[in-house]
Amino acid sequence: MSKRPPPDPVAVLRGHRASVTDACFHPTKNILFTGSTDGELRIWDTVQHRTISSSWVHSAAHGIISVVAGGENRVISQGRDGTIKYWDIGEAGLSRSPLTTIKTNSYHFCKLSLLNNPHAKVEPTEVVKNHRESELAGGTMSSTELESDKKVEGSIYVAAAGEDLSVVELWDVNTAEKLIKLPNHSINSTKARGMCMAVRAFLPPESQGHANVVSGYEDGSMVWWDIRNPASPVTCVKFHSEPVLSLSFDNLCGGGVSGSADEKIVRFTLDPSTGSCLVKKEIILERPGIAGTSIRPDGKIFATAGWDHRVRIYDYRKANALAILKYHHVTCNAISFSDNSKLMASSSEDTTVALWEIYPPRN
Amino acid sequence: MENEEKKRRELERRVLEKVEQAISSVHNAKDVDQVIIALYSVAVCLFPIHFHSISGSVNEKYREELRAVEVPSEDDKTEWCHVFYRGAAFRAFARVLLYDVASNWLACFAASARKHVYDVFFLNGCAAEIVQVVVPCLQLNGSGGHDSSAVCLNAERWLENLLGGAQFQDLGHEQLKQVISKVSQLVTSIPDKARQGAPNFTFLTLLQGAEEWDMMLADGTAAAEDIHMDGSIRFIGEAFARICRRGSADVLLSEMIPRILGQVRSVLSSNSDLAISEIFDSKPGFRFWLKIMEAVNDSHSVERIAEELLHQLAVQNINDVEGYWILWILLDKSLSANSIRYVKTYHAFSFLPGSSNEQFTFVEKFLLWKVFPTCCLRWILYFAVLECTPDSASLRSYNAHGLSNTVHRLVVAWSRKEFVQSSPIEQQAYVTAALGLCLEKMAKEDLDATKDGLHSILQGVSCRLESPVYLIRRMASAIAFVFSKIIDPQNPLYLDDSAHEEIDWEFGLATRRKGPLTTPVHDGDERTVERENSFSTLSGKEIQKGEENGVGNVAKARRKKESAFTLIDPDEVIDPATINESTFYEDESDYASEDSETSSDSSLQPYDLTDDDADLKRKLSQLVDVGALRKSDDAEGVEKALDVAEKLIRASPDELKYMAGDLAKTLVQTSVSGVMILDIMIDAAQELASARILKSEHRPEALISSTSDEPWFMPRNIGPQGAGPWKEISSTGTPLNWSYSYERELPSKARQIKRGKTRRWSLRTAIQDNQMEWSQNSFPQYAAAFMLPAMQGYDKKRHGVDLLGRDFIVLGKLIYMLGVCIKCAAMHPEASVLASPLLDMLRSREISHHAEAYVRRSVLFAASCVLLALHPSYVATAVVEGNIEISEGLEWVRIWALQVAESDTDRECHTLAMACLQLHAEMALQASRALESSKDTSTAKSISLSASVSNRSIKIPYLDS
Repeated sequence: MSKRPPPDPVAVLRGHRASVTDACFHPTKNILFTGSTDGELRIWDTVQHRTISSSWVHSAAHGIISVVAGGENRVISQGRDGTIKYWDIGEAGLSRSPLTTIKTNSYHFCKLSLLNNPHAKVEPTEVVKNHRESELAGGTMSSTELESDKKVEGSIYVAAAGEDLSVVELWDVNTAEKLIKLPNHSINSTKARGMCMAVRAFLPPESQGHANVVSGYEDGSMVWWDIRNPASPVTCVKFHSEPVLSLSFDNLCGGGVSGSADEKIVRFTLDPSTGSCLVKKEIILERPGIAGTSIRPDGKIFATAGWDHRVRIYDYRKANALAILKYHHVTCNAISFSDNSKLMASSSEDTTVALWEIYPPRN
Repeated sequence: MENEEKKRRELERRVLEKVEQAISSVHNAKDVDQVIIALYSVAVCLFPIHFHSISGSVNEKYREELRAVEVPSEDDKTEWCHVFYRGAAFRAFARVLLYDVASNWLACFAASARKHVYDVFFLNGCAAEIVQVVVPCLQLNGSGGHDSSAVCLNAERWLENLLGGAQFQDLGHEQLKQVISKVSQLVTSIPDKARQGAPNFTFLTLLQGAEEWDMMLADGTAAAEDIHMDGSIRFIGEAFARICRRGSADVLLSEMIPRILGQVRSVLSSNSDLAISEIFDSKPGFRFWLKIMEAVNDSHSVERIAEELLHQLAVQNINDVEGYWILWILLDKSLSANSIRYVKTYHAFSFLPGSSNEQFTFVEKFLLWKVFPTCCLRWILYFAVLECTPDSASLRSYNAHGLSNTVHRLVVAWSRKEFVQSSPIEQQAYVTAALGLCLEKMAKEDLDATKDGLHSILQGVSCRLESPVYLIRRMASAIAFVFSKIIDPQNPLYLDDSAHEEIDWEFGLATRRKGPLTTPVHDGDERTVERENSFSTLSGKEIQKGEENGVGNVAKARRKKESAFTLIDPDEVIDPATINESTFYEDESDYASEDSETSSDSSLQPYDLTDDDADLKRKLSQLVDVGALRKSDDAEGVEKALDVAEKLIRASPDELKYMAGDLAKTLVQTSVSGVMILDIMIDAAQELASARILKSEHRPEALISSTSDEPWFMPRNIGPQGAGPWKEISSTGTPLNWSYSYERELPSKARQIKRGKTRRWSLRTAIQDNQMEWSQNSFPQYAAAFMLPAMQGYDKKRHGVDLLGRDFIVLGKLIYMLGVCIKCAAMHPEASVLASPLLDMLRSREISHHAEAYVRRSVLFAASCVLLALHPSYVATAVVEGNIEISEGLEWVRIWALQVAESDTDRECHTLAMACLQLHAEMALQASRALESSKDTSTAKSISLSASVSNRSIKIPYLDS
């Protein structure tokens, strides 16, 4: 039986003038957010393949590291200028100014991770007086009151590398408050791992709504934190020999995929009850460097964005190769699936974003 | 006084008379008994022989005669004996004994008679005298009516006897010396004189004699005869020295080595309390080696012995300890004995204390000047440098001072640029191995004690790392590795990706070296092999890159295979059946609930997973980007620009014609500030070159290929199906067959009218035929634009590029590329035009005599390409019409190639030069044919041949040998 040739993208979104660093689908609407290294955030209509709006949200010199849809009409952009901005999306595109701006004062390549779950409980351990952009009228409200207040409309937290680049910080996006530092005191072992290069926050079902964070470091190691105990990690593993560049977990928090600067993709399992993280399968690549990974929400497949210009598709359960997508002719930066699992977007340094329909789920 | 003199004369006279009588009666004898009596009459005057001892072997009727022989008194006998052997009597008598008696009568002698009246003369005499008369017998060549084989056999018997127990009695010291030297001279000439097939007894018997002596000494019986024995040993020593000087050290050592080896092994396996050196010093059966070698008092011979010893030991299966002890036994004493002479001769370290001096010269010669197999190197190091046995126990007591001095000597030689440039690769490998093995034994303190150690090592490493030869770079990284291990054992420095903990100090040269070593006789054969190789060398270079790629692919494939074993290959083609087969890779732990879902999950069928990296290389860009080549500090930019340039040339757009010159110039001038850019440059040049070749391969068949067995003028093997093979036919018109003609059977076409049987194909039609093909070769149109700028300005230092000096690799590549270019334009008019400037460039002294063999190789290659590229008729016209540039240039190629073939140190240069000569000869032949044809056709013009052409002699070395 002769093999089918790999599919071509269903659409290519052109318009960015610089390398597209990240792409993110809107959770419900046919909208795609993309950010580029010149600081431009574009919003696309994924049906008509047209730009809805374009705005310069971070300085051109620094550019955008990542873009995350933060709810029905919110989007979060992370710049290399040391800020994370929280935007409102209106009819005509982005609001003129962000709702909140978090000044992380950190300059790195670590894409933030969103923890957007109404049941997430994040107990602040950091009492940090932050500069708040949006001062609330009731300034006398205690912080707990504030928190319960916010919980109603759903708290949004982000995790990203902190000012000290080996530390992961958890912020409340609504209040622009730093809540937790992981580790919360200086541990030499964390310093020795180097910069935090990738981070992913998730909410295992067993944890009673307490968020967990896995962070990947420059030396190839990965550390699993339970934020209830920010002093010491749940477990440390080292699957890679080069910096861990991307991490992603499936929705059931039973496992994930990590990509690195070395020639491996590791498919691992997580067991939150025992706190163990084990390699399930190592995929050896011919050419090293995986800049982005993403698991489709339905847990069927995952995709990687490679430095070798290729997007690769794998069976998530078996970690078998399914397709090698050759469209981009420069490094791929990120890969993202829509929440209904129908579309996939790959963003590349060639300033384009390609949309793919690959193994569409049957209804 | 006078009286005594008179008495002696009288005695001499009487002895002579007696001998004369005996000789004449031997001559006149009719019967063997008469001979016996005649001999007896002399013997009885000299030796204490009793009548009864031989009477039994004589016939009854002669017994009376025998008894009648007068017997002098015992005192007289001694005097007689003395006179007999010292004077002419013995020689005359011995001749009769050795020739006449031996050939005619000896066979009839009874055993007792033989012993008492024949052997007695040789057994009791003075060895020196006897040897002198016996040795010439060996040379007997059947003349004079003697039975030569009988004579020779007899003489051999005597020599064997003699040498075994050579005795030098009653002689003063000086006299002894003279006699020894004379006898040993004779003895060592034996191999020359001995008949073919004679047993090689000289050395054997000498050795056996020595062993016997040693045993006797052990018995204590010989204590009194010390002086006498000393003489014997000295004789053997002298004989050994002479044997070696005569070039028979190999034979000598092939006898010695098994004995010594056996003894060494027995000592090493025995569990004695004594130190091994003491055993050898004291134990009977061993001492004589020490004594004998001590007696070889000739430094040259010692050297020969040592050299031969190493070569012979190398092919035997010997471990380091055995090797060390054999060297110690044979060389330790003689080296110390000869120390003074060595120092006088070589006068290298007169300021150092005595004992180590000769060690240094030994070290110098055997580590720096000569090349031995690597295993020998270890023995030499243990023996002469470390001065300790290789077993680990004694390693702690090595001679640190000697080691650091040796390392100093080695590293000074090793780090010199001239050494890297001009010494043969085998020697380089050897010296590198010597240095590396020394360094391996060194501690950090030793290194600190070494003069200039650090500096020289770094210098040597860095100048090797720049070398274009992979082996030389590997040597550098090997030394760097060992060196770094001294400095910091925890942090070894790997300059080479393929480096391992264990370094192969033979650098893969071992097999090549072993060939001539084990079979020195087949020198001639080797040469022919070399010449055969040389044919392929030209094209070999071109394929080299391909091969490298091939190797890479293999390695890659292997890696792939390995990974496929343990892990999934992302590119592997997966059978869709397996992906849905949950038994194939079932995970029990997770998602057991999802199984039902996956079973129907036929949507996850893999697509075609083949992946090539062609797109990764593709970067289409503008010619403007080539400008980045000039920005030497921007490595990335240069790399990109080179990519672009490569692309452009590959695509060969129309404007290439106009840009080629600029491009070539820029490429040549690209600054080579870093090794990285240098490598890119090399790759680019190679890439360019191979692009050329690819392009020229558009032609259905290469016009000229140096690899093919067929000459290039053979007609090509194309044509209708069923065409027979080409056969050469002799042209009938002229007696001189100047052009090749070929014919073959052709099947007749369907509607063809048969006019004749065959079609003829000859040179002239071939040219027309080929010209049509040539038009497909698109290179020549760019050739001039591309090549001319590249030929200019190589001697100027511009943009920080010093082609003649530091950046010689670029120069070599450039010349190589020019060669490839002109070859690609072969037989086109462009080639004829470009040949003379190219030859001009090659002829310049700084290029053709460049210090780096790498450049010279390129020049040879390019010159060969010119020879290939020129059309014979063009050469002929050039010569006839006095195109001096071409004719002189071609003549220069011949002379220069000859010179290189004869004297270049580089092996590859030699082979290339040979190939070049071959091509030159072929070209000259073709040109002269073309010339004659033009003479035939245009006799009206009456062009006179210049003398230099018609008499041009084409010499190919080794052709007549």
